[in-house]
Amino acid sequence: MAAGLRAVRRWGLVVAPPSLAFSRSASVVSTANNAQPNWLGVGLAFGTSAALWALLIKQHNEDVMEYERRKARAQCRQCS
Amino acid sequence: MVFLPDESRSLPPPPLLNKGTVWLGFAGWIQFLSPPAAGVHRQILFATVGCFVGYHLVKRAEYKHAKVDRELFEYIRHHPVDFQPSTG
Repeated sequence: MAAGLRAVRRWGLVVAPPSLAFSRSASVVSTANNAQPNWLGVGLAFGTSAALWALLIKQHNEDVMEYERRKARAQCRQCS
Repeated sequence: MVFLPDESRSLPPPPLLNKGTVWLGFAGWIQFLSPPAAGVHRQILFATVGCFVGYHLVKRAEYKHAKVDRELFEYIRHHPVDFQPSTG
């Protein structure tokens, strides 16, 4: 049956359905130009990374200080 | 549901370089190695995001484990009869 269907399609009497892969209209997409950097994007990426690192290191130092503070308070309560 | 309750700050904070930080940072970095997703700025950004998310996830995981341990030891303390070393 498949062979017969293939033969009928070759004769142009049965059209194969179009491929199901997604395709976007050329009016809305543009090819990325990797030769000219998107400096805004690069700057935002580096700036966000720096801000995130600063936030992370600050948070860690605050956590350490808070832990030491609570440990000292707990020990002092024991000795009082 | 609070992500990190206040009493989690009584726990020692995990080091900045821990398994969560390293693993998620690596995962963030490796996504942007091959074209068309490549780009040093993207690698740095997503490695940073991975480290950030990993650090807070590890803090929450350590809090959860410590809470379970505390409840376990409290139960053992309140039921000493059940936890005597077996004799004979």
